[in-house]
Amino acid sequence: MLSIENLHASIQDDQKTKAILRGINLIVKPGEVHAIMGPNGSGKSTLANVLAGRDGYDITEGNVHFEGVDLLAITPEERAALGLFLAFQYPVEIPGVNNMYFLKAALNGLRKHRHLEPLDAMDFLKTIRSKIKEVGLDETFLNRAVNEGFSGGEKKRNEILQMLMLEPKLAILDETDSGLDIDALQMVAKGVNSLRNAERSIILVTHYQRLLDYIVPDVVHVMANGQIIKSGDKSLALELEAKGYGWIEGSSS
Amino acid sequence: MNAALETPHWLNESFIHSRDFFDQCPEVRDFQKKQRDLFLARGLPTKREELWKYTDLRFLSNRTFVKPSITMDVVQTIQAKHIQNSASVRLVFVNGLFSEKLSDVSLLPEDVICCDLKTAFKNHAEKIKKFIFENVDTNRFPFATLNAALMTDGIFLYIPKHTTMNVPIHILFANTEKNILTASRNIIVADENAQATILEEHCELGGRDYFTNVVTDIYAQPNSRIYYHKIQKESLDATHIAEIFVNQKHDSLVETYSLALGAQLGREDVWVNLNEHHTESSINGFYYLSENNQHIDNHAQVNHIAPLGTSKMVYKGVLEKKSRAVFNGKIYVYTNAQKTVSRQANYNLMLSPDAEVDTKPEFEIYADDVKCSHGDTVGQLDAEALFFLRSRGIEKKIALQMLTRAFAADVLNSIKNPAILAHMNHLLNEMFSDD
Repeated sequence: MLSIENLHASIQDDQKTKAILRGINLIVKPGEVHAIMGPNGSGKSTLANVLAGRDGYDITEGNVHFEGVDLLAITPEERAALGLFLAFQYPVEIPGVNNMYFLKAALNGLRKHRHLEPLDAMDFLKTIRSKIKEVGLDETFLNRAVNEGFSGGEKKRNEILQMLMLEPKLAILDETDSGLDIDALQMVAKGVNSLRNAERSIILVTHYQRLLDYIVPDVVHVMANGQIIKSGDKSLALELEAKGYGWIEGSSS
Repeated sequence: MNAALETPHWLNESFIHSRDFFDQCPEVRDFQKKQRDLFLARGLPTKREELWKYTDLRFLSNRTFVKPSITMDVVQTIQAKHIQNSASVRLVFVNGLFSEKLSDVSLLPEDVICCDLKTAFKNHAEKIKKFIFENVDTNRFPFATLNAALMTDGIFLYIPKHTTMNVPIHILFANTEKNILTASRNIIVADENAQATILEEHCELGGRDYFTNVVTDIYAQPNSRIYYHKIQKESLDATHIAEIFVNQKHDSLVETYSLALGAQLGREDVWVNLNEHHTESSINGFYYLSENNQHIDNHAQVNHIAPLGTSKMVYKGVLEKKSRAVFNGKIYVYTNAQKTVSRQANYNLMLSPDAEVDTKPEFEIYADDVKCSHGDTVGQLDAEALFFLRSRGIEKKIALQMLTRAFAADVLNSIKNPAILAHMNHLLNEMFSDD
């Protein structure tokens, strides 16, 4: 599904080059759920953004293959068409772009890439009505501009709605749990769990282990200083929570 | 104040003589002669003048133009320009000259006057003379004076008292020839408690390198409502210079929407006089510059002369490549115009680092009980929003369109007539389909 080899990435900051990722190695197999944890500034979000194709990062070394394709060589929309999905840490407000219209354009954009006919209006409406119920948003949100004036929780639910509509092969959730109350958190977890199957993989980028009570990962990785310094099963997350990140950073250096 | 103009070809005696479009009317001829002298004494505006600081017109003095005529058969091609999915009254001008064959006034109510200027002089001489011989301030509006000197044709629209015209009136100016100079003059009058919806559209049907000079006068009598829309989609090598004069009496409402998509050099002045109390005016513009060296200049001024007037002025624009937009909006509030409420804004979206915007909002306020605000921005597309849309599988080109259209939406979406809104949106969408 996804294989990352020795990935190095840096940004230009005040005319200085700052290395953010310093040799990431990761393999995600179909059906697996991976959690990536780590302190602020460890490079978790950068990894998620580099995978989705956000501008502004220099890839200085390494390779990423997704479904056998050189991921770093293709555009964000091509990555989406291959089945990659990033749920944003800070979903963007887009005034003037209707949420329903946007979802339809996205879905039909993906279908076009996959040489499928556009979904007819009735089918689309039926699907979206059932999915929006799943994430606990009112149907009126469909007629509003994308994320405009949504609360933090509503924005995150809207991200999950997009994920449910687009049915990706690999979903990366970038701190989707941060800032969520318990109801919203459970709703997000329910959405993610409903997508779990033998072909679909999920990467959860998170600061806290709370989300992992609801979405049980197969593998937990700990990132620090742009590297994965420890990997283990779900008990690693609990251990981290109990002992703090200092424990692992201290032991690795 | 300026050195008198060395007479350009398009103002010499023989050119003027060849353009005697109103030869049955000696009054018009005398008027035109006088206007020509006034223009020559004033001269072409130069960049030394504040109101023309960014717009260079020197090329005009060396240009030669030919007399407009209807030569091409456009019966087929003109149909694509009609307002779709709506009935309309249609007056079509080809190269500035009225074409009865292409026009359709069958839906016109009996008491409404809507005709070309020559017919107006023949059948409604009394009425039109009240409006057409108006002297403008030549120094401030040299091209209105030039328009009077070279007048080709135009419309006279008169909506009588208590008449509401729901059917939109489409005045279509199609240009098919090279190097023509047209000077159209439109007069729109809504009498007491009358209402009209108008679309004035300038387009090319094969015409190149021509010069459109148009003046539209709008008179809103007490309690009347005028919804005026204008589309400028001239050939990309053409020059389009327009003046729109709005005069409002008490309790009248005028909304104007100008969509500028074409011309190499486009200049439009909107001049609104709120002469009596309780007037409402909404002046809107949207420009999309798609070509290198394209230059669109909007000057708009609302004069609050009487109390309790409300005005809103919003101009928005998108600039691609090495294009340049100029905006100068001014709200002038006279001492007497207490309780004025006015809002002014100009927002620009730059899609290229080579594009340039010169924006200048102005307020001049002499009354002490007013509410005025303004906002101006020049910005780039939200890169985060673009990435977000692309990460959801939307192609870059489509994503750019969605964001640009969203930017335009709040100007155009306040258009009340759905058929005109669709007509304008259709033209705007065409801007995205080229590359």
